[in-house]
Amino acid sequence: MELAELTKCLSGLAGPSGFEESVREYISSYLHHAADEIRTDALGNMIAIKRCGKPGAKLILLDAHMDEIGFIVTGAKDGFLSFGMLGGVDQRMLPAREVMVLSDPPLYGVIDTMPPHVLTAEEKSKAIEPDKLFIDVGLTQEEALKAAPQGTPVVYAAGCDDLGQGQLCGKALDDRACAAVIIKAFERLADQELNADVCCLVSTQEEVGHRGATVAAFGLEPDIAIVVDVTHGKTPDGREALTDCGKGAAIGIGPNINTALARQLIALAEEKKIPYQPEAVPGGNSGTNAHAIQVARTGVVTALISLPLKYMHTPVEVVHISDMEAIVDLIAAYVESLEV
Amino acid sequence: MMLDTLETLCCLEGVSGGEDEVRDYILERVLPCADEIRTDPLGNLMVFKKGAVTPEKRIMLCAHMDEVGLIVTSITEDGYLRFDQAGGIDRRVIIGKKVFVGPGRILGVVGSKAVHMTTAEQRKKLPEMRDMFIDIGAKDKAEAEKQVHIGDLAAFDDRVVRFGDGFVKAKAIDDRVGCATMVELIESELPCDCWFAFTTQEEVGSRGATVAARSIQPDLALVLEGTTAADIPGTEGAGRVCLLGSGVVLPFMDRGTIYDKDLRATLIRLAEENGISWQTKSMIAGGTDGSVVQRSGAGTEVAALSVAVRNIHSPACVAKISECEDQLKLVRLFLAEMAK
Repeated sequence: MELAELTKCLSGLAGPSGFEESVREYISSYLHHAADEIRTDALGNMIAIKRCGKPGAKLILLDAHMDEIGFIVTGAKDGFLSFGMLGGVDQRMLPAREVMVLSDPPLYGVIDTMPPHVLTAEEKSKAIEPDKLFIDVGLTQEEALKAAPQGTPVVYAAGCDDLGQGQLCGKALDDRACAAVIIKAFERLADQELNADVCCLVSTQEEVGHRGATVAAFGLEPDIAIVVDVTHGKTPDGREALTDCGKGAAIGIGPNINTALARQLIALAEEKKIPYQPEAVPGGNSGTNAHAIQVARTGVVTALISLPLKYMHTPVEVVHISDMEAIVDLIAAYVESLEV
Repeated sequence: MMLDTLETLCCLEGVSGGEDEVRDYILERVLPCADEIRTDPLGNLMVFKKGAVTPEKRIMLCAHMDEVGLIVTSITEDGYLRFDQAGGIDRRVIIGKKVFVGPGRILGVVGSKAVHMTTAEQRKKLPEMRDMFIDIGAKDKAEAEKQVHIGDLAAFDDRVVRFGDGFVKAKAIDDRVGCATMVELIESELPCDCWFAFTTQEEVGSRGATVAARSIQPDLALVLEGTTAADIPGTEGAGRVCLLGSGVVLPFMDRGTIYDKDLRATLIRLAEENGISWQTKSMIAGGTDGSVVQRSGAGTEVAALSVAVRNIHSPACVAKISECEDQLKLVRLFLAEMAK
């Protein structure tokens, strides 16, 4: 499957933090033929490994997370579902929003809002507190509680569409677009004679604190890790973002990243003419799985390659396919460049 | 049948001032059944159909074809579209939503900078509409101008979903429900002669109905509408305005009209005699084409017969399907009564 098509498929799956089953199953079955080993751990991480068969080969870990932000049902009032958040939801996105309640069978719902006709200008200028919002599933109190009991997860009901030239727009591109990137890189590498073992880790629960990657990195004990996640692309109201969509892979530089490895990636991008942009990552926490992986066990040489994305944590996230392709090329070039 | 017609109509684009697609569709449906058809410079579609008898009074049914939406006001150097509202929209329901711009139906999203980059203050307040923008994926102004133009109208996502216990979600239920009722009536045998006014520009001040009423010169008019329901948790008593599931809405007054008491009493009697649930609005909110029809020429007797709609003026309007059908049923009963 092509990169864009795979991204669209992954975007459409429902997998909020802690409830990633359908994403994991899809990727496991997709990578089945390319990997030597496929397994799942106690936190639900999807681990696919390709061995090079050479003694003393290093293990290169590629990571992207499979979970997306979402909601969890906390109860019902008059048949409308109350909910809490799974991850950093932008509460301004919620009024008149369509969602999918992941009950069995799933229920379509709408987060209701007041008609503008009865609101004051003051009221209309304020974001609504999430505890005043409810999901309308068109059921009575009794039916709603039975169909979607407390603890039922919920995601945005949205797919992924083509936008303009060579762009995708949809939900959960953070971080399924990057999951698609490492899957394609893994597939490409699996066909080649390599000097390192490669692991494709599609991790869980990143949005609630890098929990999946923490245990996966411990269990796998990689020598080198390349974390692939999204970063903010510039928008008219967000000039302070450090990267631009369409300008290539964002190679992170900062304390959370091994400097020598970052320099090596930049040199490779220059040599192979792969579009890239350096991105400064201040502080010890990049806000990605690199934070957990760098300090796993006795420490891992870790790089962060980011995909510039606009409108993060909304159902209309936007990415450029060319940036995704650049990251696939860069990862493949890096692994191919490794010597015994 | 009624539901199919409603769903088809909701998928058409007809933001105020650009109702052509809706008018063309309705015209095609009613052409074989009509005895007289008129249009005018405002784009109203007026249809006369003979019934079994010709009543003393000239009867007009009225529903508006237009819906609320956005209008492109400028294009930025980097290819984003600035916009204003066409009709009254709570700006909280447009942020992070998909829209379709212009005759080419170019996909765009109403973007805003990621929640991660906002201050606590910004997260509580919504940006002003003039600070919002539509992202169509254009790389610069020149590329954007190839696809869209200043003055282009943008409509909400047109996906229709049936859900829960007999509910439907769509954009523009206000007032395609009234249009659907009128189309169904025109395609059936009528008990008495009747004029049908499919009007334009209701959402920007009942501009179409102003001239349609002068053209038809009715003695008596029924306005068929979708109206503001605020029956969501957290809203109590009269503040709920009207409730989905409590029946068709027969308002005594709104911000534009004090409805004709005798006409309203007749509708109430017919509803009760025929087991159709009805309610009134518990708050004086909103307005209809009734205001201009009532004061047209030497005056018209006017009543409104509406369907309660949640999340009105948003991409995710919700109505109870049985109440849409009851609107049609009660109008039929009313025409039969007028034939007596």
